[in-house]
Amino acid sequence: MKKRAFTTITALGLTAVMLAGCGSSSSSGDTAKNDNTAEETTDSSAEMTDEERIISAAQEGKVGNWGLGNEYEIQALLTKYGQSTDYLVEDFTMDGFDDDSITLASAMTYNELGLVKNDYEGGYGYGDSVGIIDMNDEGVAMLEDNLFCTKEFAEANPNTVKAFVAASLKGWEYACENPEEAAQIVYEAGSSVSSDHQAYMASEVKKLVETDMNGNTVTEIGKMDEDAMQQTLDLAKQYIKLDDSAAAAKLQTLTLDDIRDTSYWEAATAGDFGTPEKTDIKVQMKWLPQCQFMGYYVAKAKGFYDEVGLNVDIISGGGDIGETTAVQNGTVDFGVTWVSNLISADAAGMDLVEVAQIYQRSGLVLVYKK
Amino acid sequence: MSEKALKRKKIDFNSVSSVLYPVLFGILIFVLWECGVLNTVLKTDTNILPAPTRIAGIMSENSSKISENLSATMTVIIWGLIAGSFLGYMAAVFATRFPNFGKGALTVLSVFNAIPIVALAPVFNNWTKDVSSEASVRSTVAKILVVTVVCAASMSINAYRGLTELKPFSLDLMKSYAADNMTVFKKLRFHNSIPYIFTALKVSVPSSVITALVSEYFAEYRMGIGRQIRDNISIAQYSAGWAYIAVACLIGILMYIILIIFEGIFTKRHRK
Repeated sequence: MKKRAFTTITALGLTAVMLAGCGSSSSSGDTAKNDNTAEETTDSSAEMTDEERIISAAQEGKVGNWGLGNEYEIQALLTKYGQSTDYLVEDFTMDGFDDDSITLASAMTYNELGLVKNDYEGGYGYGDSVGIIDMNDEGVAMLEDNLFCTKEFAEANPNTVKAFVAASLKGWEYACENPEEAAQIVYEAGSSVSSDHQAYMASEVKKLVETDMNGNTVTEIGKMDEDAMQQTLDLAKQYIKLDDSAAAAKLQTLTLDDIRDTSYWEAATAGDFGTPEKTDIKVQMKWLPQCQFMGYYVAKAKGFYDEVGLNVDIISGGGDIGETTAVQNGTVDFGVTWVSNLISADAAGMDLVEVAQIYQRSGLVLVYKK
Repeated sequence: MSEKALKRKKIDFNSVSSVLYPVLFGILIFVLWECGVLNTVLKTDTNILPAPTRIAGIMSENSSKISENLSATMTVIIWGLIAGSFLGYMAAVFATRFPNFGKGALTVLSVFNAIPIVALAPVFNNWTKDVSSEASVRSTVAKILVVTVVCAASMSINAYRGLTELKPFSLDLMKSYAADNMTVFKKLRFHNSIPYIFTALKVSVPSSVITALVSEYFAEYRMGIGRQIRDNISIAQYSAGWAYIAVACLIGILMYIILIIFEGIFTKRHRK
């Protein structure tokens, strides 16, 4: 009897090993295949064009992105050069780029790129030995940081929305004129990074706010440029893949009028608004406190929100429950998100509308070692 | 009616009701959920908590994508569970054979149980960078290692108790037969440890599922049920997210049921 128990356990163990073995045997075949392509492509790394770099990295499977709704521009770029849209997942460090497991790594100009180049605290110190491929130049740029709320909130509190947009724009204007002071304000507001990196970030974010996708200077901060918005929506429809067929169908029917309302921005810039309906306001950032959001921190610190009669609480992000959900739930009144994230949230049935577009060009680049 | 028949009837009624009531309660919850009462009670809209039929619809629409991710997750769970339980048991055997430092080593091993998965996963990602040039392979290895560590810890502690907490005088009896260590292990310790193995598995089966899902969050290669949950939730696709959450629940429940069945079989034999 005891012997039988022992045999059964052994048999059971073997079955499980065999089952699991089936799953992994196919992937080891792929490894061999990819090793070959890797050998072929690494020879010609001397002076490659951007196109060659992209194709080579894609075929080696060494293009990196964070995923989680940040990947669409990269997928559009890969498609442009006829490559598959697969990418490696970058964690929130650049270690994968540093140790060469990712040869073409996603980086935001104002954040990761600074860490790669500079040698201050947390930096990798590559200096000018790295090059970048800019999504704006490649024609696959999508608009990023905006300001949004729910349609319901905007309709119920139009003056609050206009006042909040007006004061925030004033904050952004001040921050772009005084990036060093802005960096200091954000650093004191509970920075997640060093003050050196904060200063670098302020100078780079300024460029995104004041330059459009074609490299022209923007005179009106926060304006929703039709062409840039349309390009973002078109790319979103092409590259946001949704498992929920109802949401996927709704995504294809979305127009610019479903995702943005320019009237609040127009009234705000004209100074045409009355007393706010709601005065205690919470605004949800997309990430930890950093100069990516300097306009809001400056507006608060400089008293611009007080001037229009608003008491504003800035909520920092960083968790997995996104800013879109927080705004939809009514936990906060406004949020900062990427336009593509707002589009996918609206496709899933949320009721969000953009009221200002702070970043006028994409801050996403692919960084490589020269 | 004889007393025996009456008793049997009572047992039958008890066992029927012990199944019936939970099932009825479950159905009630599903009906309330479907009708939107649950959304009202929990103050959530149907975006955040979609109706069960909607979730089931998404599951059936995406069956091939789900099964691809499911097999990746199951590979991690099963390999990790086997490797972890085996290593844990071996550690317990080692500790039994060399109690002087073995017991201390077990304490150290049990500390791994207290390390959060979110801390372990990135560490193993870095350790396995050189395992393969293919990201899918090395990230699977990294995930299996995390599950292994978590399962090894609970198995070693329980198995050690099973191997050492013997019936009074049974060890003395074996000694009086001049049985060597191997015989004591085979005839006495191993059989004594079987119920303890299942105690360990009751902890490590559910935790291996959780560990696999969470370690997928941090994996370099985008694959698995856990990764799909995170991807969908972070772009506000709660309906699709729930479809994968439902799959994750089913994995956990089915694996636990299988475990309970095996426990019934093996511990019954053990008692004979």
